[in-house]
Amino acid sequence: MTEAPLISVENLTRLYTVGEEEVRALDGVSFDVQRGEWVAVVGQSGSGKSTLMNLIGALDTPTSGSYRINGHDVEKLSDDELADLRNNEIGFVFQTFQLLSRSTALANVELPLVYRGVSRKERRELAVKALESVGLANRMHHRPNELSGGQRQRVAIARALVGSPSLLLADEPTGNLDSATGEEIIRLFGELNRHGHTILLVTHEPRLAARCPRAIRLSDGKVVADGPGAEVASLGAPPAPPPHAGAAA
Amino acid sequence: MKRLRRAWAELLEGFRIASGALVGARLRTFLTTLGIVIGVSTVIAIVAIIQGLDRSFEAQIQFLGAHTLYVDRAPWIQSDNTWWMYRNRKKITLEELRAVQRESRLAVSVAPMVGTRAKVARGGVELESVNVRGTTEEYLEANGGGVQAGRFLVTGDVELARNAVVLGTDVVDRLFPGEAPSAAVGKKVLVAGRPFQVVGVLERQGQLLGMPLDNVAVMPYPTFGRIFGTQRGMVISVAAPPGKVAELESELTPILRRARRVMPGKPDDFAFNRQDQFLKLYKQLTGALYGMAVGVGLITLIVGGIGIMNIMLVSVHERTREIGVRRALGARRSTILIQFLIESAAVAALGGAVGTAVGLGVAQLVALLSPLAAAATPSAIIFGIAFSTATGLVFGIWPAWRAANLDPVEALRYE
Repeated sequence: MTEAPLISVENLTRLYTVGEEEVRALDGVSFDVQRGEWVAVVGQSGSGKSTLMNLIGALDTPTSGSYRINGHDVEKLSDDELADLRNNEIGFVFQTFQLLSRSTALANVELPLVYRGVSRKERRELAVKALESVGLANRMHHRPNELSGGQRQRVAIARALVGSPSLLLADEPTGNLDSATGEEIIRLFGELNRHGHTILLVTHEPRLAARCPRAIRLSDGKVVADGPGAEVASLGAPPAPPPHAGAAA
Repeated sequence: MKRLRRAWAELLEGFRIASGALVGARLRTFLTTLGIVIGVSTVIAIVAIIQGLDRSFEAQIQFLGAHTLYVDRAPWIQSDNTWWMYRNRKKITLEELRAVQRESRLAVSVAPMVGTRAKVARGGVELESVNVRGTTEEYLEANGGGVQAGRFLVTGDVELARNAVVLGTDVVDRLFPGEAPSAAVGKKVLVAGRPFQVVGVLERQGQLLGMPLDNVAVMPYPTFGRIFGTQRGMVISVAAPPGKVAELESELTPILRRARRVMPGKPDDFAFNRQDQFLKLYKQLTGALYGMAVGVGLITLIVGGIGIMNIMLVSVHERTREIGVRRALGARRSTILIQFLIESAAVAALGGAVGTAVGLGVAQLVALLSPLAAAATPSAIIFGIAFSTATGLVFGIWPAWRAANLDPVEALRYE
């Protein structure tokens, strides 16, 4: 492939100081993600996947190493530039949805565009389109507490999509959903990926990682496997867990 | 252009969030603003009352000519208990009046003023205690004011010591009840038992520091002497050309010293009184009041501001996750900062507006129920609201700064 990768992570390291001790949350991680890929980052809790997600999401900066997304050298950016990068390049989908409870679905979806300075009229149009694309055309004026978990996550996905970011960054997006709803959401991701969206999905569930074309396994802050989702998921997975036990963990 | 639009959109979002938060927690908003409301209403009420006093006072002292010196043996306004220093001074007499009339080049008009209280009567109506003044036709020139009906004293009245009198409106109102002031002109009244002809009616002058100024009867100086004796001390009013009051004072000093035979090296045994001395005294009084109002206002604003700061800290704490979400979606630190500043300023401005309204209401009530006047200038209103908004901004800085500097990762994870 001659095109530059969308994401290029090189020797990324993140240290935390906890009391006297230094914790290596991420220890020399390197990988590339091409445009249009759907990659799972999988690992046990404490493996460093949250730290990686925060770095990829430009919410945090690495101790050392480099991270490029869409041509931006993230480690060189100021705080304001990081905010703008998040606004333009990244669409977040969180486990706990993170919707603003006092705002309607529409206002929630419009929010990233407010911070981009899009005019009110255009904001409204784009938000409506995004909500329609996740099948919530008839729930636009509902507040989060009037929506089911699956609907809330769809609003969150619409919010992530509305600014046409180059990367969808999902952190355990099915973690707070029952398995049927979680399945819906995963299918929605699949559909978005087929439409060309690049997706990075952080999860502790090998079952979910197995659904992704590619998966990266982290352990103790290091990449221990990087390959087709099904293969990586089976590597080092707990021996034959019943599907429900995995979902409940 | 885009940056501008973004700033505008963020500002609108800030106002939207603020109004949402304020309306969403009405009771909290109310309690938070209470401190500011009390502070601002206190200051506004006091200031409105003082401004009312200012206006009526300034109107009142107009009867004392602005460019006039009043020569008396003692200053009219004395500090502390110094009256005894002046008690043994010689009275001002005709001799000094003649000297000033003869020698002063600057004086525009010179008029003697003697006074006493006497009975004024007409028909069955008797007024026990009217301020009777003896002076000359130059009195009005030195003292300001005018006649609303008839005429003032003329040279002939004075030279011939006529029994002519010009009455104040209070006297006319009571001697000629229900009649127009002009009806009094030409009528006979009794002053201290002697018949007088009313030649004119003075314009209404109101009060000075609570003393009525319209309860007067003005007659020629020689007439006054004939009836009440010539041994009374007088006050000489000397009008200066505009802006030359100080020059007049230095011109009169040697004239008066000579006339009163003050030995060289001895201090003056007379005093120059001026309108602006009253103003100065008044300013001192109201200045203290102003100082108190400002002090009370500052303290309550600080207390109110601390209340706002407290609530804003709670608000930031409660909305930690929201802040994290906004940061993740692209809000800059400054965006968050401005958002919370708008909120605290809005709370304070609301308190300021309510406080201003309450304060003006209180001032009106005071004006209605007491003799005090109240005047609200637009500047006081603008000042009240602007000052409370500034308080909100100042006390909102720290909470807003804390909100802006939350780590987005931590904030998102916050339960």
